Amino acid sequence: MSKHICRCEEVSEDEIRQAIADGATTVTGVKRRTGACMGLCQGRTCRRLIVGLIAAETGQNPAEIETSSVRPPVRPVTVEALLSPAGDTAGCKGREEDK
Amino acid sequence: MSERTADVIIIGGGVIGASIAYYLTKLGVKPVLLERGDICAGTSGACDKAISMQSKNPGLHLDLALESSAMFPGLGEELGADLDYHRYGGMIAIENERQMAIMEKFVERQKNHGLPVEILSGDEARKRQPAFAPSVIAATYSPADAEVSPLKLTFAFARAARRGGADIRTGAEVRGLLTNAGRVEGVVTQAGEVRAGVVVNAAGVFAPAVGRMAGLELPIKPRRGQIIVTEPMPPMVHGEIWSARYIVAKYNPEMIRSEDPEAADLGVGLAAGQTAEGTLLIGGTREFVGYDTAVTPEATAAVLRHAVSILPFLAKVHVIRTFAGLRPYTPDGMPILGPVDGLEGFVMAAGHEGDGIALAPITGKMLAAYIAGAETDKRLRDLALSRFQQAK
Repeated sequence: MSKHICRCEEVSEDEIRQAIADGATTVTGVKRRTGACMGLCQGRTCRRLIVGLIAAETGQNPAEIETSSVRPPVRPVTVEALLSPAGDTAGCKGREEDK
Repeated sequence: MSERTADVIIIGGGVIGASIAYYLTKLGVKPVLLERGDICAGTSGACDKAISMQSKNPGLHLDLALESSAMFPGLGEELGADLDYHRYGGMIAIENERQMAIMEKFVERQKNHGLPVEILSGDEARKRQPAFAPSVIAATYSPADAEVSPLKLTFAFARAARRGGADIRTGAEVRGLLTNAGRVEGVVTQAGEVRAGVVVNAAGVFAPAVGRMAGLELPIKPRRGQIIVTEPMPPMVHGEIWSARYIVAKYNPEMIRSEDPEAADLGVGLAAGQTAEGTLLIGGTREFVGYDTAVTPEATAAVLRHAVSILPFLAKVHVIRTFAGLRPYTPDGMPILGPVDGLEGFVMAAGHEGDGIALAPITGKMLAAYIAGAETDKRLRDLALSRFQQAK
């Protein structure tokens, strides 16, 4: 069995190679086909590994491979922190818990 | 420049284009599908997973949805893929007497149209959905609502179509339409011409740009929907949940204004469900902002404020992502399907707004049958573009 590339969603290298064979040419294309990058870390670890696999399989220049879009929040944050006014202690607490 | 000939060209590799391609191959027609980007890269890849019957307007809309719904149970096996399809039912939370009056009428009309649905008291509703707030005074329940992974569904249609002989090309941008004497003859792409006697416009929110190539004004507008994704967790939400405000936002957003003016501006209504992976998808908004797919903190807050009022446990849950998709809105909430007067061979298949996933099987089947000449569903007449042109 091949190793996990996306640890959060347990997506293997084989599955990612299959997605590329299926037509994925971007990280988002791999993501939509496999679920990689959709977990808790939002691709922080696997995004670069996936770029490497796309480059190896398709011969594209890694620098020109589109990575997945980065959307808020930057890291997991509680709903109540998002709903509290900026600077509120609940918001700070939410961020502390994530450390 | 390469030139080639096909029987049918489908423009657009979203769930609608992929579904039409698949059902055409079942009838022995091998279409060419041209997708500018990647399969499932637009609206179909930026939506939630509900196959909602309860949100459909009783009439043709609900009839089509019920027919489509009946096609889902065997679809995964037919397409050879796990689609994460489940029929767990759905509930619409009612928060006040004013909403109750609206929902009682809506439910009565749905029942008369054959939808199994009932209104439960607050306590009965909380037995079925323990996460509901004490302030939820009642809720509808229908066993007919279901869910599916829109990503798995779209890719499964595309792969099955390819196995059936369809030529599915990504990175193929249509730049012009070839017409002659009121007939469509093909398209021009960045890689040359492709000729065919039938061209299907399944370009979703980009369908108007394709329409303009044919000199047609299509009344389709992009309507943004923002959705929030939470951390994975054990089952907390059973089946699909909507708020009565969601139904009101869909059909008459002005009625929300007295309750929450900001929510009315953003078209906020709750649509929530839990994925197979355990994350919650919490929507959503209905905003006219052109083709802007940005997420905004105002909408995130407005959606979450409304969501917490119905599902209080959410306050302590972590958000891991927000995203936005553009839904192809039409003025009457119905898709534009079938032939177009004055341009023979040009076929419309766009404008499903938020119903594209639910209506994909029936749309693909009806249009494939029409294109292959097997049968013309009488309902295509009511769904034609001409319904918007008669007023002129």
